[in-house]
Amino acid sequence: MAVIEVEGLTKRFGDVLANDDLSFAVESGEIFGFLGPNGAGKSTCIRCLMGFQSPTAGTARVLGADVHDDAALRAARGRVGYLPAHPSFDEDVTGRRFLDHQARLKGDERSDELLELFDPPLDRKIGGYSTGNAQMLAIVQGFMHAPDLVIMDEPTAGLDPLKQERFNEFLRAEREAGVSIFFSSHVLSEVRRVCDRIGVIRDGRLAALESVEELMGRSGKRVRVLTADPVAPGDLDWPGVVDVEQTGRQATFTFTGDTNALLDHLAGFDTHDIEIDEPPLEEVFMHFYGDTDQGAEHGVSRDAAADESGEAATVTGAVATENLEAADGESGRVQSGGHASQDRPQSRSEDEDA
Amino acid sequence: MLEITRYHARRRVKGTVAMTIGFAAFCALIVGIFPSIEASGVDFEAYIESLPEAFQTSFGVEAFATMEGFLAAEFYQFIWVLLLGLYMAYAAGDSIASDVERGRLDLVLATPVSRTQVLLERFLALFGTVLVLNIVMPLVIFGIVLAVGEEVALGSILLVHAFSIPYLAVCTAIGLVLSTAVTRGNVATRGAIAVVFLLFVLHSVTGGTNFDWLGWASPTLYYDPSEILVEETVDLAGALVLMVGTLLLLTLARTIFLGRDV
Repeated sequence: MAVIEVEGLTKRFGDVLANDDLSFAVESGEIFGFLGPNGAGKSTCIRCLMGFQSPTAGTARVLGADVHDDAALRAARGRVGYLPAHPSFDEDVTGRRFLDHQARLKGDERSDELLELFDPPLDRKIGGYSTGNAQMLAIVQGFMHAPDLVIMDEPTAGLDPLKQERFNEFLRAEREAGVSIFFSSHVLSEVRRVCDRIGVIRDGRLAALESVEELMGRSGKRVRVLTADPVAPGDLDWPGVVDVEQTGRQATFTFTGDTNALLDHLAGFDTHDIEIDEPPLEEVFMHFYGDTDQGAEHGVSRDAAADESGEAATVTGAVATENLEAADGESGRVQSGGHASQDRPQSRSEDEDA
Repeated sequence: MLEITRYHARRRVKGTVAMTIGFAAFCALIVGIFPSIEASGVDFEAYIESLPEAFQTSFGVEAFATMEGFLAAEFYQFIWVLLLGLYMAYAAGDSIASDVERGRLDLVLATPVSRTQVLLERFLALFGTVLVLNIVMPLVIFGIVLAVGEEVALGSILLVHAFSIPYLAVCTAIGLVLSTAVTRGNVATRGAIAVVFLLFVLHSVTGGTNFDWLGWASPTLYYDPSEILVEETVDLAGALVLMVGTLLLLTLARTIFLGRDV
């Protein structure tokens, strides 16, 4: 059973199309990552799901309640936890008073247990809280009423790495206990570690919808290696190596493939330093999803939205072209690595047609 | 039920206490100088008649030489009608708009409460301030008058406060309409203050002219402390108009709030 069903969700703010014909479903008992760069439309989608904003077109159902049906959605919210990106509180009340207030509005079944994991200074006024403490208070309120579904908008933004890891562990335990989680983030590594399935949103449109394994296989690692002597141009010509950049003794490239194979290859060099990291999200998009038209391959129809309004087509067309220009700027490097995305020029002309 | 009212009313306690003390201090000051004004033997009636009509309407200067008339002019018209009216509009204007602007409303609207409930309970929390002030202040003022050795009818004082409640409710409702219609807190508060002030001025400047019909929309037309204190008459119909006005404004605020994105 799906806990969230989004169907053709479109949200327009004046000339800006924040969500463009989004469709996806979050299944019961999974952690669904909603991944996209800042400004991609993640928060807008979440605010529509919570009933804070009304969709311009399309609809969504949360625990079976249609977002257009105020009464049904209100009842469903009793079983939904919400964690905003930047939780904001009345600064003149203490954390304890805030939690009391929330408890009276939606119930409290487990705040004591949660406060052992996440421990903001409850007797202090919230105005004096650090970002991390405010975030912990928000986490406690999000789960205190034992919700069936928790919708989170970049929940780990203000947490230190230790607390982040504790939070991720906590989420996995929650999933084991049967809680469904919808989790938005612009950090690929975080979504990778925590989520079962991922929807990628870009420029308001769904660019991909896949399992974490699939994404991991496709996104690769960013490798930076400092060698005793500069590596020769042919030295890095292994399968799975793309986007090679070399400055002096330092070579940087993206690697998609088996990590053991990577280590074997690197053992052949006299290395001084190695850094293996997640590629930046934008780079993942450029290399592995090409432009947003690729979304069509993943069952996302964008023509309907474009046909609906000439204005919408112009706006999104302009955005897509801009990104494509950025992609073109990098395509030289991509091709030198022998991993050119062949459909890019074609996509561009399609986009202009739209 | 009424949890939101309780929560916000509690947050308002300090402010309400501070206002009570401030008003009491101001009242003590002006009542304190009344005996010397009375003793000076100045013909205030003649002085008042020389004032422009608009000024007389604005500040209800009708019977300066009696304690009732003096209080009406120096305290009620100025502090209660103008200042407190503006404050309630300001506080109401701030309520929803600032919470939306700062994102504070998210964690409330994420719970199973309706926007109608949020709006109504926020109104009731503000109304609590109005009620408390109107219960405490008449007793304080009566005490102050007795303390300086003067006399005033307690009944009139109680009435002037009771009839101010619908007036202040309208000012609060005006603020709430602005607060739901505007996306920025400071715009809503300034807008609410401006509207209430303009309506006050509208009634004052058109009073006694051929254009006094323009003042129909002004809440001050329906609540006159001088009338209650000096002439000992109450405007029941006026109070009713204010109550209906409050309901209409709250309905308007609700319609706006339900239709908007937050």
